Amino acid sequence: MRLALPQPWEDLGHVADVGVRVRGASAEEALARLVLALAGLLAGNGRVEPEREERLSVRGGPGRALAAVALLREVLYRFATERILPAACEPVRIDEGGAEAVIAFGRWDAARHDGADVKAVTLHAARFERVGAEWIAQAVFDI
Amino acid sequence: MHLRRIEGDLWEIPREGRMKVPGRVYSVGPPAPDDPALQQVANVAQLPGILRFSLAMPDIHWGYGFPIGGVAAVDAEDGAVSPGGVGYDINCGVRVITTGLDAGDLHPKLHALVAQLYRDIPTGVGASRAIPRLSAAELDEVLASGARWAVRRGFAAAGDDADRCEEGGRLAGADPPAVSARARTRGADQLGTLGSGNHFLEVDRVAEIYDPVAAEAFGLLPGRVALQIHSGSRGLGYQVCDDFLAELAPRVASFGDDYAHLPDPQLACAPIASDEGRRYLGAMQAAANFAWANRQVMTGLAVRALGHALRVPDRDLGARLLYDVCHNVAKLEEHVVDPGARGPGPSTRRVLVHRKGATRAFGPGDPRVPEAYRAVGQPVLIPGDMGRYSYVLAGTARAMEETFGSSCHGAGRLLSRGEALRRARGRSIAKELEAKGIEVMARASRTLGEEMSEAYKDVADVVGVMDRAGISRLVARLEPMGVIKG
Repeated sequence: MRLALPQPWEDLGHVADVGVRVRGASAEEALARLVLALAGLLAGNGRVEPEREERLSVRGGPGRALAAVALLREVLYRFATERILPAACEPVRIDEGGAEAVIAFGRWDAARHDGADVKAVTLHAARFERVGAEWIAQAVFDI
Repeated sequence: MHLRRIEGDLWEIPREGRMKVPGRVYSVGPPAPDDPALQQVANVAQLPGILRFSLAMPDIHWGYGFPIGGVAAVDAEDGAVSPGGVGYDINCGVRVITTGLDAGDLHPKLHALVAQLYRDIPTGVGASRAIPRLSAAELDEVLASGARWAVRRGFAAAGDDADRCEEGGRLAGADPPAVSARARTRGADQLGTLGSGNHFLEVDRVAEIYDPVAAEAFGLLPGRVALQIHSGSRGLGYQVCDDFLAELAPRVASFGDDYAHLPDPQLACAPIASDEGRRYLGAMQAAANFAWANRQVMTGLAVRALGHALRVPDRDLGARLLYDVCHNVAKLEEHVVDPGARGPGPSTRRVLVHRKGATRAFGPGDPRVPEAYRAVGQPVLIPGDMGRYSYVLAGTARAMEETFGSSCHGAGRLLSRGEALRRARGRSIAKELEAKGIEVMARASRTLGEEMSEAYKDVADVVGVMDRAGISRLVARLEPMGVIKG
């Protein structure tokens, strides 16, 4: 499964920062949408053109929620140091100990991208779980 | 959430469950029982080694782990240090620089001045290269020396700037080798940059004096121009916090039962005396020094911009750093922990005070306050929103007794960023500010929507709570003339 920007996410209404919640028919779909929610926050209204693909594999946890946070942290570090952000995401796995995804990165352009300055991915209210027939994932970003 | 009123604007969350101490909340009006920030006050009360109260200042709002506006002091011997209790923007803080310039005289040149400041101080997402990229050795010096590094290189309003910063602009326990390569990469070219979000640089007018004696000591005269800078440790600090949370979160249970049962993973912490705790404190203190150097470099750039725009030699500007406070930090301090104890007299204890969106507010006579201010108490700098006003207050003896020498740090957000943007849709916030006589320049129009006045509590209400409670004393009000945002 490969998902590209834009993807739906809900605003948790966090007062100081930004919290997002996504839903997916599978854990992989929820993970991809969580990665792309972060990408959407960074990009704002600007389109992201994919330039290169990279497989990111991270150890994290305990639990799927903190494994997903670990993947988001890695994506944010790439943004902070290389000014690249995801245009698309193809999840490989998410389990109790880590996460892996192939990400198509595009270049951030100050003239086109009017998104938020995300400082960090917090552990607060992190969630990644199956609820009935769907998977729900959420994260709070420090702005 | 059950609350009971102690007196005036002070409310208590009674101790229950795994809370080690009660919560104490200073509040603008009765607290809303369903405010998630109150649950965070109760959560912080479970920190190992916490003393007396989990405190919240009247600018309290929903944070991550700690509430914004939270204060927690833990025993320095057997307490825990919490990276989330400091936050990602380590030593985010505020400074005010007074000048001898008359606001009325400045008005015709205000646009040129704001434009010059906007050109000279990089702002916005990932802003960098205010000064040449630091070598590894230079970065180590910054991490060890803080504001003093920048003063030595000529970035200053006056030669004694560092002495007019909290802690002299440098935490002595800094351990530069504890700062990771990732953090260094993220921050090395960001020294002297403002950033974005709620960070700002303002040209202010001293609008009103409430305490003439303290105002004179602080160098605040009605109608004079002052500069105000709000920024922190940029990407370097964010990464230090991130690194240690990632290290501690999977291992927190190994430190003991109290650690294993913390109710929020963002409260992940380590015993101060552990290897992890010591390394975090060393890295956090180094990042705090980076933040002081950052604000100090911007001070030098801003004073030069002022002289350039007004065509006045720097020495004739009368620029002087009033003070610099940090509001995201954990510091080892001596405090009277049980002021009501019977015996020969109150004894002090060494404690680690986490201030997450709270300002140190030491009172008169405290030797840790610069000599020039010791008679009146430490300057407490409280920015408001970009369309209204900010306040300068003074620390009090009551703060030393009740809040581990802490006060509020700002107005506190009222609206989420999403809601603020929805309300800003179809409006020009820049034009609305212009109509009020405020010149604003921002890298992104989105920032102006997120940061508009309506998104914040009225800071006058917030500082009013602190003044009435005797936690800090009103000295002066500043009003914005020019605003630079990221």
